[in-house]
Amino acid sequence: MGNQADAEDVVQEAYVKAFRALKAGEFDRRSSTATWLYRIVVNGAIDAKRSRTRRAEQSDVQIDPSWDGAAFAEARLALSELDEWLDALPPDQRAVLVLQSLEGLNNAEIAQVMGVSEGAVEQRLVRARTTLRQRRQQP
Amino acid sequence: MTDHEDMDQRLLRLARSTEALRPSAGFSARVMSSITAEAAPGLLESAWFSARRLLPVAALAAALAVVWAVQAERTVDDELATTYASVGLE
Repeated sequence: MGNQADAEDVVQEAYVKAFRALKAGEFDRRSSTATWLYRIVVNGAIDAKRSRTRRAEQSDVQIDPSWDGAAFAEARLALSELDEWLDALPPDQRAVLVLQSLEGLNNAEIAQVMGVSEGAVEQRLVRARTTLRQRRQQP
Repeated sequence: MTDHEDMDQRLLRLARSTEALRPSAGFSARVMSSITAEAAPGLLESAWFSARRLLPVAALAAALAVVWAVQAERTVDDELATTYASVGLE
């Protein structure tokens, strides 16, 4: 999401959706619970990314006093850099790249999370990398 | 170094750097609050559950009412028959 407040909104909504689905007995256990939760979060993030207009970075993130201030500041900068870098990608390509490179999921797991074939995952990864490379080569 | 390696290294660096990010204070409480609100039944749901609890009592009451009505009708019929018989004898 590139913004911690938006990311927390998405995760919060995902938990509520998961609770609702469990209560209604809609979780069919065909995939693992982790994959299922990933799917809810990723779909929520993609929808949010598509529907929301880009908001200015909010400064209402509360800092846990136990955190190392320098590490937190570096993390915020890294998140900002990541968001700016991946902003050129469509949400589905961005999602597969984040799931692979930041979350460490393999293609089969990503395919389950995204509800697509492994071939489609591979194709999105190639496209994402091509887009990023082309963007880098632009003056 | 190829573009591919360069990209992977940058992703790895950003992944490591963002590991320090944690949910803001009170995030868990907000999530639990949303779930609790979701779990609490609404007005219609409460009414439905209350009504469902009363359903067996209502069914029993209806059955008793039908039995009473049938018996009452028989009593009235018997009394009417007796009355007509008396009138006939006279």
